[in-house]
Amino acid sequence: MGVAYKIDSDHAASRTYREALFRCMRGALANHPEAFLLGQGVDDHKGTFGSTIGLAEEFGADRVMDSPLAEESMTGIGIGAALNGLYPIQTHIRADFALLAMNQIVNMAAKYKYMFGGRFEVPMLIRMVIGRSWGQGAQHSQSLQSLFAHVPGLTVIMPATPDAILETYPWIIANHRGPVVSLEHRLLYDIAFRSDDVAAGNDPLTSRLLREGSDVTIVATSIMVLEAKRAAEHLAETAGIEAEVIDLHCVSHPNRAMILDSVTKTGRLIVADTSWKAYGVAAEISRLVCEHDPSVLRAPIATLGMAPAPCPTAKTLEDLYYPTLRSLADTAARVVTGRDDHGVALPEEASMADVYKRFKGPF
Amino acid sequence: MKFANLHERLFYEALRIRRAEERIIEIYPTDRIQSPVHLSIGQEAIAVGVCEPLRIEDPLFGSYRSHAFFLAKGGSMRDMFAELYGKATGGCGGKAGSMHLTAPEVGFMGSSAVVASTIPNAVGAALAAKRRGTGQVVVTVFGDGATEEGVYHESLNFASLHRLPVLFVCENNGLAVHSKLSDRQSYDLCQHAATYGLPTQRCREGWNFLLVRDEMARAAEEVRSGSGPRFLEYQTYRYQEHVGIGCDHDVGYRSRAALEEWQANDPLLHDSALVDAFDLAIREEIDDAVRFAEESPWPGPEHLLADVA
Repeated sequence: MGVAYKIDSDHAASRTYREALFRCMRGALANHPEAFLLGQGVDDHKGTFGSTIGLAEEFGADRVMDSPLAEESMTGIGIGAALNGLYPIQTHIRADFALLAMNQIVNMAAKYKYMFGGRFEVPMLIRMVIGRSWGQGAQHSQSLQSLFAHVPGLTVIMPATPDAILETYPWIIANHRGPVVSLEHRLLYDIAFRSDDVAAGNDPLTSRLLREGSDVTIVATSIMVLEAKRAAEHLAETAGIEAEVIDLHCVSHPNRAMILDSVTKTGRLIVADTSWKAYGVAAEISRLVCEHDPSVLRAPIATLGMAPAPCPTAKTLEDLYYPTLRSLADTAARVVTGRDDHGVALPEEASMADVYKRFKGPF
Repeated sequence: MKFANLHERLFYEALRIRRAEERIIEIYPTDRIQSPVHLSIGQEAIAVGVCEPLRIEDPLFGSYRSHAFFLAKGGSMRDMFAELYGKATGGCGGKAGSMHLTAPEVGFMGSSAVVASTIPNAVGAALAAKRRGTGQVVVTVFGDGATEEGVYHESLNFASLHRLPVLFVCENNGLAVHSKLSDRQSYDLCQHAATYGLPTQRCREGWNFLLVRDEMARAAEEVRSGSGPRFLEYQTYRYQEHVGIGCDHDVGYRSRAALEEWQANDPLLHDSALVDAFDLAIREEIDDAVRFAEESPWPGPEHLLADVA
């Protein structure tokens, strides 16, 4: 399998995460008369970071609805609309605001089907944007996938690439009859990816194998998938270490067999998540392996995630707060060699925010 | 059953609900109904009056105190008792119990134990009704306590802003569990709702099912004609304790005099001729439903993980 994507805005066949989102939003409105967008500022000149720009003019205010600042009722209204024949696509410009809608997401959307014995379905897509860098601070940066994935009845995805968006969103909107929470990463929006046909045909709601390797399995989410790919390429070039990279993608329904087969093959596991490690994706993937057969592990599992604190605003602290390409490469070299002084040259890059230069805030 | 007039029909429906809940009270000590029950005894007239002018396809969203609305909207007695018993033949296969009764086949859209949480769902259903041009009137029924929740206010705002075909129906029994309305609310229910720019109406005779019905019929007609949402407050009285089958007029938070005042107006307690005329048929229906529930199978392990996502 070749390089699936690069940070490469000049490439002819490249497209950004934002362009993929826009294409899916427009496609939903064009192809599904029952679909509508409901969210704060979806119809304004910035259009949810460019993912909905111009759609209100094209499809009308009834299909692209600005919302009051009322997260709980907006989610509840989405649920009610879904119960009566519409397909709501809701947006939270930061995932943190979705916490105000937890009653409707957890007590209602996740329960409607089961609690009423299968009498109802609530097909809807709730988009939430994770912030990072440029001083997002404690309340514009949270990566809440484990909160949602913990609750049966919700499907939780974290698309890591434009291809993942293009494969998943149209499929969900056309076929999936339940509530889906999608956590999009703000840092990815402006990045151009080389499109890769290899990804086509993936099951939209499960994990994907992005790179084969024999030495260590890296299971990653969202933007950490990019870092895992970059770390894998660096390790292969500089030290001959071959990492297998799995994009978890569907956090609520990981491809268990894919992960277990990979770890059985490599004997080593690193989980690189965008969130806190405790009780989260790192803990869950470790559980899958340990419950299956811990003897397949030739080294202790290693995990990367945010430091166990609210996110600090100062850049010096923020750079320490998040895992980086360097910390991921270092961790992989350590896990594979079994030594802290592994001698593998590490990438120079210290701050991811410096790399993703095209992202300039304020959001 | 043939009825001479609307009064008789509503009386029958209200009596049917009361007798069903009285049967629940009889059965409850046997532990065959293992589900918290919030009884509507005393409040039946609102359910039958509100549901009478509605069409089957008009969605109505309820709360945990919904036996009355389930039956008044047309839900089946068998479905309800089997559901209360936790049987596979219940309306929701035993997964709902008393607090989450639903009957979508007659537009009873389900009930939630978390106060006020179905109110925005009704507003969303109304948004869909307007967008799709279905002609439906959507009804959300909630208690006075629900109006203290933020989502109620958010929902009124959105419904009024977009002139959605939804009727906000408040069953004001003056109590949130054991807390009096005057200890909880700084506002007048109708005055406050009116600040969102929707017409409001208060009915103090919540026992009077014909009056409840007439006010609801007018309001529903207005809403169906596209004039936007409305708010109706029906004052009423809960005879039993908040949850469970007991009476609690001896524990100090409310007086027996207030109960007696309401009971003095309660048609079901005073028109013995109609009660005698209807009781047999109602008892037969309830007997059949209870027998059906008792003889029905339990849900099995194959149901545990069905319909999750």
